Amino acid sequence: MIFFLILLALVFIAQIAEFFIPALPWLYNAHIYIVPLIVFYGAMALPFPLMLALALYAGILLDALTVQVVGARVEISLGWSILLYAVLAGIMHGLRPLFIRGRWEVHCVLSGICTSAIILAQYLMITFRRGSLFFSREVWWQIGGPGLIAMLMAPIIFWLLQWMGRITAYPYLPEGNRFE
Amino acid sequence: MSRTSIIALLIFGAILGYFLSFGADSTRKFQAGVYQLIAPFLSSGSGLQKQITSVRSGLKSLEDLERENTALRVENRELRATNQGLRDVEHEVNRLRHALNYRERSVFKLVPAVIVARDSSTWWHTVTINRGKEDGIESDMAVVTDEGLVGKTTTVGTNISLVLLVSDENCKVAASVEGTREQGIVSGERVTSGLTPFLNLKFLSKQADLKPGQKAYTSGVGGVFPSGLPIGVVKSFRVRELDGQAQLTPAVELSHLEDVFVVTGRK
Repeated sequence: MIFFLILLALVFIAQIAEFFIPALPWLYNAHIYIVPLIVFYGAMALPFPLMLALALYAGILLDALTVQVVGARVEISLGWSILLYAVLAGIMHGLRPLFIRGRWEVHCVLSGICTSAIILAQYLMITFRRGSLFFSREVWWQIGGPGLIAMLMAPIIFWLLQWMGRITAYPYLPEGNRFE
Repeated sequence: MSRTSIIALLIFGAILGYFLSFGADSTRKFQAGVYQLIAPFLSSGSGLQKQITSVRSGLKSLEDLERENTALRVENRELRATNQGLRDVEHEVNRLRHALNYRERSVFKLVPAVIVARDSSTWWHTVTINRGKEDGIESDMAVVTDEGLVGKTTTVGTNISLVLLVSDENCKVAASVEGTREQGIVSGERVTSGLTPFLNLKFLSKQADLKPGQKAYTSGVGGVFPSGLPIGVVKSFRVRELDGQAQLTPAVELSHLEDVFVVTGRK
């Protein structure tokens, strides 16, 4: 339970930190996202009900901080990010046995793909609202760039989270000696 | 699937359904509440970010000094560093004096605000400012600097507000072009590749033939933006199938904004 509370706190801190991380001009203004990585790690480490709770919490935060209300129109309704997080975290949760067997690389790659999937879903939803669907090089990089960065960051963040799980004696984590 | 998981899934579905049923007003209230909650963290983060940037720029100038003046003594380096610190203060004083002058000579009632956070998302262009209902700010108020239009307020909390930048595709501004009778609608681009976003001035006549350098101003149509505020400068003009469209460079450098003013009315 302590580890779950730590993950909630980390999601909150990461969401605030993302406000202060500038977009990368050399990567077509791609943004860096940390929250999805914490949620996806939680999806592998937590039991199903707590995974849902984490997805709910992260989705509410993401929606509340990014949803755009212009006049009487909401661009993407509150709740869509919760659904996205829950579905993607559910996929990661389904691959938990691999994670326990120590196959981290699959989850690192998948975390990047899922991070890009969130941004792609947002793009499709705003395009549905605004019209004119197009995929320029900038669009692909702004969708794929954060995913690539997430893939690169995943091993470090997963290792840090696993270390936190160990020091809080979290029982759902994979046994340490299987990774060492 | 265990019983606990099924119950969790049902509770999750109920909460999700509850959020999905939110309308614009409820969403705005909820968003304002969340922003109000995180306002202290954003303010502290903004202060911390400024300190880090200041330290980084200080280190840079030291590196330059080392490269260019290897023969200078340590005492001299210290004096230069102190001088750099004083220049930072001077820059800050000039910036605030400039802002104060603009506030005094402006025909609008202006509420000064500081940007505490920039958008963290890929597809939306917003900034967060440290003023809200307590300062007389409401939704759909124009936000400006002495250089021109910045955007408009959307969600307003007690002492924090979201500003939709003019570079966002959803921010639509009625505009006129200097020296012509041309009127159109300015909006941002969905995707920007560089640091400086461009604006599109649409629905011009095909014969408009705008020249680079011509300035676009708010026309006042629509009621949100007062007339006469500079929006941008024409970069290029092209004729489309049904209308003419100009690309504008924003009058305000949106990527380096620090202080803004919210227009709350006329003096």
